Amino acid sequence: MAGPLEQFEIKPIVRILIEGVDLSFTNSALWMVIAVAAVYYFVVLGTRQHALVPGRLQSLVELSYEFVAGLVRENAGKEGMRFFPLIFTLFMFIFMGNMLGMIPGSFTFTSHIIVTFFMALCVWVGVTVYGFYLHGARFLTFFAPSGAPVYMLPLLVPIEILSYCVRPISLSVRLFVNMMAGHTMMKVFAGFIIALGVFGVAPLAIAVALTGFEFAVAFLQAYVFTVLTCLYLHDAIHMH
Amino acid sequence: MSKRSAVAGWLLGLGPLVLAAGQALAASEVGQSTADIVHEAEHESGGMPQLDASTFATQILWLIISFVVLYYLLKRKALPRVADILEARQERISADLDRAAALRVDAEAAFEQYEAVVAEAQAKAQAEIKATREAIAADVAGRTATLDRDLAARIAAAERTVAAARDKALGELEGVAVEVAQAATERLIGVQVGDEEARAALARARQEVA
Repeated sequence: MAGPLEQFEIKPIVRILIEGVDLSFTNSALWMVIAVAAVYYFVVLGTRQHALVPGRLQSLVELSYEFVAGLVRENAGKEGMRFFPLIFTLFMFIFMGNMLGMIPGSFTFTSHIIVTFFMALCVWVGVTVYGFYLHGARFLTFFAPSGAPVYMLPLLVPIEILSYCVRPISLSVRLFVNMMAGHTMMKVFAGFIIALGVFGVAPLAIAVALTGFEFAVAFLQAYVFTVLTCLYLHDAIHMH
Repeated sequence: MSKRSAVAGWLLGLGPLVLAAGQALAASEVGQSTADIVHEAEHESGGMPQLDASTFATQILWLIISFVVLYYLLKRKALPRVADILEARQERISADLDRAAALRVDAEAAFEQYEAVVAEAQAKAQAEIKATREAIAADVAGRTATLDRDLAARIAAAERTVAAARDKALGELEGVAVEVAQAATERLIGVQVGDEEARAALARARQEVA
């Protein structure tokens, strides 16, 4: 039987080698493209009727729109709304990636550290650059907490800088570990079902519970990633 | 707008960077084609596929492509549609609210007008009632006065008639008394009493009685 980690293997579909670098179109890339199409058509089909009183799909679209808009407004402030399309894209992309990963036999591209880390890194670098763009060199005072006694600064500033630099790592590892651990657990328990024969009912029950749990995690982790992005954006705009 | 496209451009600009990083990674795996690396990493290490660095370049590349495409599609095509719908609904709602407020103002004005009309009508009616009552009272007073006068005249006339009748009756009574006195005197003592004498005696007797 396939090991629990086999589901995370990257398998090339169309091999592309450019100057010795493997840029193949893989199962991961396929599901990214499916996620893009799913998100795009979700919104477009949902708004096709342009109804004053929304139907089911339109309600979902409006719900996600208002949800992310509320998230940005609450966590990043009104000034953060200029980044709403970017953050909406981020949320929907991660959310759809997590959800599509729940389809049996699919691939969860958010279960790869390099994907989540690259997204987190872009968020972190982008937010930092925006902070310097807004405040110039004054943004450096972000690392000296206001109200702290001067003699504490030699201790506080390195801690602040360190915690700031750890952000992309914590942001990415959280999402990646959650997705990977959840899917591994499901696979492990699913493996027990056949192996235990009649007593496989127990792991089956656990696998069913885990599936429900994983749907919650799929949403929650996309939410957490988005909220933290908004909070980092808030830091860049308001500096505490 | 330009800042957003700058973000997208910045993301796209990472492409060559990925390529360079991928080359560096590939170079570190001595003498192996990347396709081989994928397979051997699976079979040899049996470890987490997530740590297989040879797949990093393709994942990052397709992540950038997917994300930028999705960002473009959402920002240019999809999100404005949602915003339009929400805005249209908001406008509709606020227009309805405005209209409701205007109608309310109208209704209040109409109510005030109605109240004014009612008050005016009431005042007019009150005035009419008062005038009518006064007119009737005046009429009644006039008629009462006329009636009183009439009655007084009639009473006076009646009294006069009664007084005349009484005087006449008294006068006749005196004649009868004189005759009775003459007749009684003649029967009792057989004396003929003249009219004058009898009359004087009667007057004396009346005075004594009185």
